[in-house]
Amino acid sequence: MGTPSTTIEQAAQPEEKRPKQPTRPYSGALVVVEGIDGSGKSTQLHLLKRWLEVGGYRTYFTEWNSSPLVKSATRRGKRRRLLTPVTFSLIHAADFADRYERQILPLLRSGHLVLADRYVYTAFARDGARGCPVDWLRNLYQYAVVPDVTFYFRAPLEIAIRRILSGRPRLKYYEAGMDLGLSLDPIESFTKFQGITLARYDQMVQTDNFVLMDGTLPVHQLQQKMRDVVSEHIELKRFKG
Amino acid sequence: MGATSASSGVQPWIGESVVTRASVGLPTLDRSELSGHLIVLEGTDGSGRSTQIALLTEWLESQGFAVQTMGLRRSFLIAKDIDSLLAKNSVTRYTLALMYATDFFDQLENRILPALRSGMIVLADRYYYTLIARAAVRGLDHQYLHRIYDLALPPDLTFFLNVRPQIAFEREFQKSPAISFWEAGRDLHLSDDLYDSFISYQTMVRKEFVNLAKRHGFATLNGENTVRTVNADLRKRIASYLGIRNIRYRPSHALVHLWQ
Repeated sequence: MGTPSTTIEQAAQPEEKRPKQPTRPYSGALVVVEGIDGSGKSTQLHLLKRWLEVGGYRTYFTEWNSSPLVKSATRRGKRRRLLTPVTFSLIHAADFADRYERQILPLLRSGHLVLADRYVYTAFARDGARGCPVDWLRNLYQYAVVPDVTFYFRAPLEIAIRRILSGRPRLKYYEAGMDLGLSLDPIESFTKFQGITLARYDQMVQTDNFVLMDGTLPVHQLQQKMRDVVSEHIELKRFKG
Repeated sequence: MGATSASSGVQPWIGESVVTRASVGLPTLDRSELSGHLIVLEGTDGSGRSTQIALLTEWLESQGFAVQTMGLRRSFLIAKDIDSLLAKNSVTRYTLALMYATDFFDQLENRILPALRSGMIVLADRYYYTLIARAAVRGLDHQYLHRIYDLALPPDLTFFLNVRPQIAFEREFQKSPAISFWEAGRDLHLSDDLYDSFISYQTMVRKEFVNLAKRHGFATLNGENTVRTVNADLRKRIASYLGIRNIRYRPSHALVHLWQ
């Protein structure tokens, strides 16, 4: 696997300790959205994708947890509540590796603009909130290239929770973080778990160069900013045709 | 959590310290609650591990120790999925390494740790060293692999049954009439000749084991000796570790066919 400009692992180190940036081993570009559930990130990435597709750019969309590879194991583990923080993290890491090696990296190598709904930072925030050591998590994903732009959609916890709960009648066991024993009430557990995850994301704004997006702003206004940032960071004409 | 996890290099907690110890499990494992002992047999395919595990189990049980065995790809969680992946051999190296890691940690947390907490002897037919060796010959970084297993429990005793690939080949062929794709490391495209491929692959894995043995202080035994000789050596060392005086042993009728 190629060497990224700055590795995921090194990103947590102070600037002066990072190695000099070599040229990227691929001609594509990677745009990532991150944030807790209900932060509005998926809506925004969808709108960005529409804009790029209509503009005629070579675009590919990928999302977390979509590989058929570990689906049955994940389903078995979740349904029977067998997963510990470590196996939860590893099974998702295996899933990510499959998608990365077979989809994301080949697309980047072949010069696509790859849009990812969640990336390794989801694991750092969520599995970190579950109690997995951060340095262990960063090692797990150290082969993954650093995105060209990472948008971090941040909405106050109450707003994000309200968005999720109004749209979905029932919270799943792991989704609500019930395995952590935070509360016996799913909604209370979910709220606490999302709160810890949010704090984990906040810590990465500096270390991982997130572009902070205020999830309380109107959709249209946020999308405009997103398009501006993408145009500024990525030479879009490379992806034409 | 909090300060107690500092020894494993864990980042200090931010925000509310709401995660309870029981829910976190492995990252905050306290070894002092483990009254059992973990004994690992490592070695390439055909090194005689399984035979020795069967004999050691009988011997230890006859000495009054409760024994739990483990091996790779035996987890309830993900073993079947690995089997079907291997059958299709369409998997990439990071994915395979991480699926094996999932299988390993599932067994560690759900089977080995409970057994060790209740004072049993766990005999492991392969452990994470095999997973490191196999992934390393496929080009994954040693440090990357070691750090994944930083969270795992290091064994109390690890034996490396060292056997030359040519001898291993003979033994594997006696076990089953054909060499498998994975035993021959065919995914590495070392040779189209299956024998050459087997020898090259097993040589690479063995080299990894020799290095791991140095790094982690395994007891290296000559696995080419007879089953009896290797078994006597294992019993002597395990007896000395566990404080067992009587190391004499004759297998029961059920296992006597292994006694060569």
